[in-house]
Amino acid sequence: MTSDGVLLRADRVSVAYGRIDALQPVSFSAAPGSLTLILGPNGAGKTTLVKALAGAVKLRSGQVWLDEENVTALPAYRRVRRGIALVPEGRGRLPGLSVRDNLLLGWHAAPPQRRARFDGDAAAVLAQFPILRERLHQDCSTLSGGEMQMLAIARALLAKPRVLLLDEPSLGLAPQMIARVYEALRQLVGGGLAMVLVEQKAVPLRSARETTLVLQNGRVVFQGERRPSNDELAALYFGKKATA
Amino acid sequence: MSEPIRRKLERAGLVAILAVVVAVAIGGSRLAVYNFTIIALQAMVVISLNLLLGLAGQVSFAQTTFMAVGGYGSAVLTLRLGLNPWLALFISAFMSLAVALVVGRPLLRLRGHYLAMATFALALGTYSFVGAATPLTNGSIGISGVPPLALGSLSLDSPLSFYVLSWIACGLTMLVYAVIANSYIGRAMRAVATGQDVAAALGVNVTAYKGLAFAIAAVIASLAGSLYVEFTSFVGPDLYDIGMVVNVFLMLFIGGRGSNVGPILGAALLTMAPQYLAGLEQFQNLVFFVFLLVLILVWPAGIFGPVRN
Repeated sequence: MTSDGVLLRADRVSVAYGRIDALQPVSFSAAPGSLTLILGPNGAGKTTLVKALAGAVKLRSGQVWLDEENVTALPAYRRVRRGIALVPEGRGRLPGLSVRDNLLLGWHAAPPQRRARFDGDAAAVLAQFPILRERLHQDCSTLSGGEMQMLAIARALLAKPRVLLLDEPSLGLAPQMIARVYEALRQLVGGGLAMVLVEQKAVPLRSARETTLVLQNGRVVFQGERRPSNDELAALYFGKKATA
Repeated sequence: MSEPIRRKLERAGLVAILAVVVAVAIGGSRLAVYNFTIIALQAMVVISLNLLLGLAGQVSFAQTTFMAVGGYGSAVLTLRLGLNPWLALFISAFMSLAVALVVGRPLLRLRGHYLAMATFALALGTYSFVGAATPLTNGSIGISGVPPLALGSLSLDSPLSFYVLSWIACGLTMLVYAVIANSYIGRAMRAVATGQDVAAALGVNVTAYKGLAFAIAAVIASLAGSLYVEFTSFVGPDLYDIGMVVNVFLMLFIGGRGSNVGPILGAALLTMAPQYLAGLEQFQNLVFFVFLLVLILVWPAGIFGPVRN
């Protein structure tokens, strides 16, 4: 880790799809145990930003640093092994694979020196998501949306990430399920991960060390350690004048 | 059909296959032994496609290309260069591996229908090439008199000895499939099949696993192609025509993707059905395709196919 405690650093990261700019240069850094909240309306470039951090899209310019290593050139599957795990938008269901298969895939992505035996590692993660233990041998296509979201988080955790990227984990979930997912996330944030969380709306999750970025049209329109109020968010999303 | 029942059926199917294979060896007629040798070799190709399509989800029509490399490789290397048939078989398999690695790189960048179309072109190109490359392949006449395999001084030219050899090869292929399917490799391939981006986010090197499936499938198809030609002592372009391309696919889809028993059953059904229907003369094809339609309507995912929710 760098002397200033930074684990993940995005340095003027920008992305273009063909000739269309999806993301104007974004810079931020995240320390262990911190929460980076990325808010913005549909199509603002939030998903593009986390994909860029995970290595799922090519950067047009800028760099991604993890723990003093420049990982910009590494493809997604190698960044996982370095410690950047992504819980993708839409939860990344893999029909045909059981819950256990999913967990095994995640476990296999952990660096060998950081992982113990699968059963032990899985038990530790499943303690947070007891519902998955009951479904261990079911095809993951039989899970509900909320259960699948928990599985997506659980398998990402088995990869022993240092940075956890979550893309709209509450999307399409019933309010009780959102509460349960966020309860699990709350426990994680305290555990020393650097969490990067994408959502459209304000989230019921706080951390002592947090940064909020608001994207609009591929551009950072707000960046700071305080959370913008709902009125401010509405103003930023819809272009109304903020009432300061 | 639920997952535990499917697993039980699969186990029962394996026992039934073993019983039939032993019964034919002991008391089968010459025709039965011949037919079941063909079924074993055909099933190997179907299993190779199952690995590529059933596990890794890559729709490839190119298995006949690798059968042709194996078949023509064995014929040319034994007859023109006088090599030992075993050596020819393995050199051909290496050539298939080399071809798979070379053409696989650009081909596997394509997804879905584009991969299917490109590999279909490869299969058609192979058929045209072996028909046209007369100096090497003897054109449409083909090459006959390919020498049989031998074990030491024991020549495997009796139908029964080749039958045993073919089923050992088929059994080993089934074993390879089962080991891969139940390992991390198989899990990673299935993840690639249903979500490449998700698989990559879980640390799976998508390109490498697609290439691995393509390469293993090519080697198996090549070995089956060589054995087939060693068995019948003949190779010609018609062995690798569109009919065969389609057949391998039908056998897999009717038997059931992702199963170990399915490909054997599919190969057996589609090899035997035309023979039983031969008496119907001009109605043979009509009845055969109605039979296929009924099978697909009753078992849309194949007889031993994936469990549907």
